[in-house]
Amino acid sequence: MTTTDNAAASDSAPTSLEQAVTTTDPVVLGRVWGFGGMTAVLLGAVAGLLVGLERLDLGSADVFGSADEVFQFWSAHRVAFVLLGVLPALMALATTVVPRQCSGPLVFPRAAAMACWTWLIGAGMTVVGFLVDGGLGTPGGGGQREATALTVMGLLLAIGGLLLASVCVMTTIVSGRPAGTGLRDLPYTAWTTLVGATVWTGMLGVLAANAVLAYVDLRGRPAVRFGAEDAIWEQLSWMFTHPAIYVLALPVLGIALDLVSSVTRTEQSNRDVVLVATAAFGFLSFGAFAQTFFDTPGTPIAEEAISVVAAFAIVPVTLAIVGGLADTLRRGAANLGSKPPAEAVCSLLAALLVLAATAVGAVRVIAPLELLDSSVTGAHFALVLGAVVLGVGAGFHHWGEELVGPKGRRPGLFLLGGLAVAGGTVLVGVADLVSGLLDQADFTGVDLATAGNPDSGVGGLNLVSMVGSVVLLAGLGLWMLTGSLHTAANRKGAA
Amino acid sequence: MLTTGFKLWFGFFVAVVLAAVFAGYTSGATETGPISLGWKGGVGNHVSYTILVFAAGVLALFGLVALAFRDADAEAQAEVLGLDEAPEAQAAVGNSLWPIFGALGIGSTGVGLVVHPAIFVTGLCIVAAVAVEWTMTNWSEKVSGDPVANAEARENLMRPIEIPVLGTIGVGVLVLAVSRILLASSVTGAVWVATAVGIVIFGLAVLVSKRPDLPRAAVRGILFVGCVAVLVLGIVTAVSGEREFHHKGGGGHHDDAHAEADH
Repeated sequence: MTTTDNAAASDSAPTSLEQAVTTTDPVVLGRVWGFGGMTAVLLGAVAGLLVGLERLDLGSADVFGSADEVFQFWSAHRVAFVLLGVLPALMALATTVVPRQCSGPLVFPRAAAMACWTWLIGAGMTVVGFLVDGGLGTPGGGGQREATALTVMGLLLAIGGLLLASVCVMTTIVSGRPAGTGLRDLPYTAWTTLVGATVWTGMLGVLAANAVLAYVDLRGRPAVRFGAEDAIWEQLSWMFTHPAIYVLALPVLGIALDLVSSVTRTEQSNRDVVLVATAAFGFLSFGAFAQTFFDTPGTPIAEEAISVVAAFAIVPVTLAIVGGLADTLRRGAANLGSKPPAEAVCSLLAALLVLAATAVGAVRVIAPLELLDSSVTGAHFALVLGAVVLGVGAGFHHWGEELVGPKGRRPGLFLLGGLAVAGGTVLVGVADLVSGLLDQADFTGVDLATAGNPDSGVGGLNLVSMVGSVVLLAGLGLWMLTGSLHTAANRKGAA
Repeated sequence: MLTTGFKLWFGFFVAVVLAAVFAGYTSGATETGPISLGWKGGVGNHVSYTILVFAAGVLALFGLVALAFRDADAEAQAEVLGLDEAPEAQAAVGNSLWPIFGALGIGSTGVGLVVHPAIFVTGLCIVAAVAVEWTMTNWSEKVSGDPVANAEARENLMRPIEIPVLGTIGVGVLVLAVSRILLASSVTGAVWVATAVGIVIFGLAVLVSKRPDLPRAAVRGILFVGCVAVLVLGIVTAVSGEREFHHKGGGGHHDDAHAEADH
């Protein structure tokens, strides 16, 4: 090679920006998924905190101007946590850690890159849609139609990106394994990701169909039914409640099983039982059928036997998985030492929160208590999503060396953040659970009638819930700081 | 030999066919309707029967695919390819522009659906172009085992198409953007803008030609900043609108000659 060739080669070398946007490296894409997802979780937590502040006085609008504005932030909190937050964060681990567990590269890396960017663009559109007075409809019809259409379109793109990434991950697990490695031999994170991705691929397609229906009716002439401002959220809400949200917790249980097995250096006993239990957990998480919007005269779908049985059946299944986890911990406790690793503590707390959430989910469907529209639903959401955030954070910390690099890890700061996330989740979950038992509605609006005319005492509980939101936010902030310091240390080292 | 995958899917197929027949006969089917797909007699409840028969068809197809591809067995693949070992399931691929452009195209299509048809059509064009480019890149990667020869094969085929098309689009977009800027300026202002832009372009061209050792990244940077500036100004002025044009002799005449108000 001549000097001229060398000069030309160095001239045409891509800049760091070109490198970043054209990459098909799963680790770089994983960082985009992870950072984007955790940022959305942080934004969702801020929205949740603002709604919590508004709930301090149920009879008037103090933080927001109207019930419609409260609704926009309330729904943004749920969308940001599920579709823009934890699912992409799980995708970060699915595109980086899972292929390594399968001893092969990520299949369809270019498609995975397109999925990541499509999700990012969709997430940006969704956030902009919420900020410009759109969102997913409002009970009073006070939102801007065009902004609502932008939110729905953004959501569709985000769903499209998540679906495409899921296909890449599932194909990697199914066909990217070396010859002789069966699905039963996979680590739990890969296995639960396969089961979870299969279930959410089935559900996200249905959710996309719901969104298309709402969008088509929303555009042009006045909406007939599906695109009416007060109807959009109800069509999509099934994705953010029992049983669909359990699917997010499944990979977290897999992460916990792998982490505990790794830190205790102990093989999981009754492996097949745990594999079957996790598959059953995934099966019971399928929730595309539970669409209250399409209820026909008769028993509502949320009170049908299939919903109730699923809500109760998932409790013993989770108990079996957590029992397996506890057994491994018991047998390997001697290897843990005096200071158990931070990620193991967080993943164990996450598994316990999932178990608590399934118990709350079972209580919620007991017909005589009439809790389906109460803030028990919010408590259930908070517990499941808190557990997922905690578990994903534990995964990021455990595999941080592969994702970011070896330098600058701060386990102490991470553990502090994790304990804050767990503590905040418990405070929100318990306070909302008791408020629900005292008849407080899930969406409280800005007047007592919308709030369900709850008993006295919910004011104090709402204050506890708001404090829980602050603690959760502080924990997430600490984690973002830990992640930034970790990244900066490795970037400095690389330079 | 029947593969394990085929046996699994075939088992499901048989179960669903039996379910369809059972559903038919328990919902008012007559004669051999459920067995003969409705050729002789009724099939009972049409909805359940149709869903189950379609499901059976899909499961049978899965079974046949599993059989045809030998359950994607590595040894069978190696035998078909005449190799000792099957190749890697996923060949390493380098950086690529197509994923990000594909996502931008899809994003533009989505935004265009909400905001303006022109953005929607632009998005569709980007998606179509990316589809062609991505396909050609994938094709070229399988031309031979040599990545350099593969890249050359792609360039030989696509460069004669890409350069004229991109050049035409680039010139068209820049002309459109500059025309919007000039039409939004006052009459005298348009002259000054055109003069200033011309001098800047000429000056930069002289600078680049006088310094052949200028790094390519710097030239690319200058071009990129210039193009973005013209595009942004073009979009902003297109949104703000053209200056007012007053026709000579009132609105009744369609005379080519017209006077323009200077603002």
